[in-house]
Amino acid sequence: MKQLKEIARNKKKQMYLLLLLSVLTGAAVIAQAYYIVAIVDLIFLQGAPFQSIVSLMGVLAAVLAARAAFSYLNGRTGIKLASEVKADFRQSLLSKYRRNPVQASLKGQSGKKVSVLLDSVDEIDSYFSQYYPQMIQTSVVPLMILGAVFYYNWVSGLIMLITAPFIPLFFIIFGSAAQKKSEEQLEKLAAFSGKFLDILQGLSTLKLFGRARAQREAIRNSSLEYRDATMTVLKTAFLSSLMLEFISMLSIALIALEVGLRLVLYDQLTFFTAFFVLILAPEFYNSLKELGTAFHTGRGSTGAAAKVIEELEEKEQPVKWGNKQIEKRGAPPEIQLRNVGFSYGEGAFALKQVTGTIKPLTETAVVGRSGSGKSTLLHLLSGIAAPGEGDIVVNGETLSEYEEKSWFNELSYISQNPYLFSGTIAENIAVGVNETVTREEIERAADKAGISEMVAGLEKGYDTTVGEGGRGLSGGEKQRVALARAFLKKPSVILFDEPTAGLDLRTEQILQRSMKELAETSTVITVAHRLHTIRRADQILFLDNGLLAGRGTHDELMESVPEYRNMVAVQQGGDTG
Amino acid sequence: MKDLKIVMKLLMKERKDVFLSILFGFLAGAGAVALFANSGYLISQAAIASTLVVLTLSIALMKIFSVTRAVSRYGERYFSHRATFTKLSSLRVYFFERLEPLAPRVFNRYRSGDILARIVGDVESLQNFFLRVYYPPIVMVIVFLATITFTLFFSVYIALILAAGLFITGFLVPLLFALKQRKIQSELREMRGSLSAEAAEFFYGFRDLKLYQKLDEQEQQLGSVSNAYISEQEKNSLQALFSQSVNQMIALIISWFVLGAGAYLIAGGELDGIFLAMLVMISLTVFDTSTPMAAFPVHLEDSRRAASRLFSVVEEGESSGAEPGGGTTKHNLQEAPAVEMNNVSFSFPGEERKALKDINLHLPAGSKTAIVGPSGSGKSTLLQLLFKMYPEYEGEVRLNGRLVENLEDESIWAGINPVLQSNHFFYGTVKENLLLAKDDLSDEAMNDVLGKVKLSFSLDKQILEKGENLSGGEKQRLAIARAMLKGAKLWLLDEPTSSVDVLTERLIFDHLFEQGKDDTLVLISHRLTGLENMDKIIVMEQGRIIESGSYEDLMSRKGYFYEMKQIEKSVFA
Repeated sequence: MKQLKEIARNKKKQMYLLLLLSVLTGAAVIAQAYYIVAIVDLIFLQGAPFQSIVSLMGVLAAVLAARAAFSYLNGRTGIKLASEVKADFRQSLLSKYRRNPVQASLKGQSGKKVSVLLDSVDEIDSYFSQYYPQMIQTSVVPLMILGAVFYYNWVSGLIMLITAPFIPLFFIIFGSAAQKKSEEQLEKLAAFSGKFLDILQGLSTLKLFGRARAQREAIRNSSLEYRDATMTVLKTAFLSSLMLEFISMLSIALIALEVGLRLVLYDQLTFFTAFFVLILAPEFYNSLKELGTAFHTGRGSTGAAAKVIEELEEKEQPVKWGNKQIEKRGAPPEIQLRNVGFSYGEGAFALKQVTGTIKPLTETAVVGRSGSGKSTLLHLLSGIAAPGEGDIVVNGETLSEYEEKSWFNELSYISQNPYLFSGTIAENIAVGVNETVTREEIERAADKAGISEMVAGLEKGYDTTVGEGGRGLSGGEKQRVALARAFLKKPSVILFDEPTAGLDLRTEQILQRSMKELAETSTVITVAHRLHTIRRADQILFLDNGLLAGRGTHDELMESVPEYRNMVAVQQGGDTG
Repeated sequence: MKDLKIVMKLLMKERKDVFLSILFGFLAGAGAVALFANSGYLISQAAIASTLVVLTLSIALMKIFSVTRAVSRYGERYFSHRATFTKLSSLRVYFFERLEPLAPRVFNRYRSGDILARIVGDVESLQNFFLRVYYPPIVMVIVFLATITFTLFFSVYIALILAAGLFITGFLVPLLFALKQRKIQSELREMRGSLSAEAAEFFYGFRDLKLYQKLDEQEQQLGSVSNAYISEQEKNSLQALFSQSVNQMIALIISWFVLGAGAYLIAGGELDGIFLAMLVMISLTVFDTSTPMAAFPVHLEDSRRAASRLFSVVEEGESSGAEPGGGTTKHNLQEAPAVEMNNVSFSFPGEERKALKDINLHLPAGSKTAIVGPSGSGKSTLLQLLFKMYPEYEGEVRLNGRLVENLEDESIWAGINPVLQSNHFFYGTVKENLLLAKDDLSDEAMNDVLGKVKLSFSLDKQILEKGENLSGGEKQRLAIARAMLKGAKLWLLDEPTSSVDVLTERLIFDHLFEQGKDDTLVLISHRLTGLENMDKIIVMEQGRIIESGSYEDLMSRKGYFYEMKQIEKSVFA
């Protein structure tokens, strides 16, 4: 809760506004009691005619309207404050994620991030829209009421002063007991609530094994056990409200007793004072109790805020860029790797000390077992992630000296699962190109990538919407869209993550043919899974457990690197055995 | 509303708890009113210095009222929550009873598992139905009626004012608010949906967005959608706050009228002045039960939505042919079936594209068949038609010469040993999960099978929900073990060992083929290796069978299978 308190405290304008509104609310509460009492006193005890209270009634109406208005404004300030804070949090999360590509996309926790960005930020709302305004109000209004009561009748004031602390005290005692109890039960509760979902998810399996009907009783029993466990927790919570209710009700009764006795037996009080105190007493205790309710809602926000802040405080590995332009020499740039290393964090997987040169227009194959660091190397070469140590040097300059845009313009990245943006197929093919392209150019690229036939078969052709909410394309079709992007862009460097398996023959053939054609005008760096790609490569970077275990052609590596020979042998052996 | 009626009917099973909730709710509400009425009366009496007897009586009453109030509140909460949770339990059972006959086909309509999580969430959110929708208005009305009746003894006019207040704060304001709120709520849901879509695009497309330099655009887009969403949320909260404040103000104004009317009547001599303080106190207190009604429509709408979503799953399932097939003939479980498909074509509900086209196949009893092909070629769909997962298709599917539509679902399912692509495991022990296959399995039998699939699990090993503490390969092997224990005569295996290494796969298959040597077996294989001994290999592409024959046939034909084999040889996984 600390961080949220900090944020709230820094919003000075809203804080003062809430304070002001609380003071005004307090004044309205007191004035309301005062005028009601004054009117009753005039009519009841002094037997005044109705005309004499008309103006008082007018003032009272104004006070009542003001009280409702203040309470609306108070809530409104909280709501606005909550909006502001939510927008701030979401914005900082977004810029955090975009600065930090490793965190955002490479760890593959996108689902969790979406939930933090949406749900956790939303949950912060109630702290600012409910708890905070209520807290300020409770720190002001009861004090003002207490002051007014003391002014008229110090004995009642004293009763209030003595009984009031019991409310927060009991709240804390019972609150923490309930908390402890619910934490004890939490595991049990989670298991029960999961049972129903578990059975539903396994219903197909249950049916195929002829076991579904028997589950009805299991659901009923676990539900009832769940109910009983929940009730145990709730009973503690209800008991705490019972105690609070007792305290406030008995305090009010005590005050009524006190003013009543002093009024009739000792004649120490006027009816006016007694009635005034009696109207204010419930307002006083209610205000204290409401804080308890608000505190509960506020607590939910705290957990959410902790999640958001944890994300924000995650260590960054930002990619730096300069402003140099890639020199156009009529040929692709030369790329050198100098002791390049990268780590996903302490104790996690790391890529270490990769060194090599990739000459223009050559084909390089990156080979290794899964988890050996192939994809990481490709990410570093693309500039999505920055090496933690060593340098990637392009045309003699460190990659980070160049302007981001200038490098990305040279590059095409064909991944195993290319991403389709929401938009038409034509837009998706043209996505990497900055200058405007004609429909003809797009169609030519699509033709080369072997996708024109498929597109022609669609009712809307190239204007068919794909991506989120649009027509789904198969894996092979997506690959071909990515190829079409490359044909249109004509990059000087192509990074290619070769599919591991599962493609149809036709896509296989197109991929092979297209890559050969693209390699004529570009440097190609492939994470290779196919023997023919590996054989064709001018140079192979063989990675083993994050280390560069060999560099050379296929024949050279077969000759000199036992692990490489071993890997190829296992592959061939897997075929026959 | 029809769906809420079901919920209400289930609720009425807990009649006693419902009654007690209302009773204690009434006592708590009335207790508070009585307490304040009494205190107003007490000091008025005190002011005119009446007898001590009246005073003592009042004081005693005051204590009774305050204790009643506090204890009743506790009772109200206790019984209302107990009724709610019991209701949720009956609701789950009721829902399950209706869903169970429709499974597993009903899930064909929903590709993602989200639907199930949503169902569970909807059941949970129906807990508000009793707590906030059903009984609070009843309590409110009874408390008001009692209060109004009480005030009738003193003044008809004041009773009328209170009745008007009940009508406005309890019904009119909530209704007006409900009308306004409905539109905002639906827009809010839409905006949340688009924010979630944009966020998903940002994360899942991060690499491509970055390289194609579209990240700024996407970030801005996401930012502006988020701001629109926040401002819609704000509008929604302000609306709720507004109607709550209006309700609060009306309650105060009503007290103002009570005060004014009381004063007027006293001045005119129609009412004794000693009751004025009491009547004002009553009015200030009684509205505590009606002002929260401003939020009533929100909860009602939520409950209605949850209920209708919940039951729509069942209703859509019933209307879309997920019901048990009409067949009554029992499938013969004793012998291995012959499998036959004649001119079968199939498309998924709601899709035009054919997932299967003109499939013809004849698998004799006891034969072993492999199906291969690229992903998305229709292999799994073909397999699923064999056990009637989709009842609507063109052509004929026959088991042992009988049309499957004439066979009873349950008997078909009893006759297969299934290992599907996703196999569910339940929270519980390995033993409990294996016992699904058959009753009365001995521990030895189970341990023996675990050994055959090379799993060194103890039978008491705890499995977490959805088997999340098992690796992909372990899950597949456990599923094979379960199928082996079932001992039916038709094996339907959908890539059963895709996450198991080649050596272990071979050992498991040896056991499996040994046990099933007389059974009919259909295996979808992700690898092209080890298929030499199959009686027949079926090659599929884009929903068609493009080749079939024995391994030697296909290899010597140098067709599609041969080409795929060549590629596989050169692929490093």
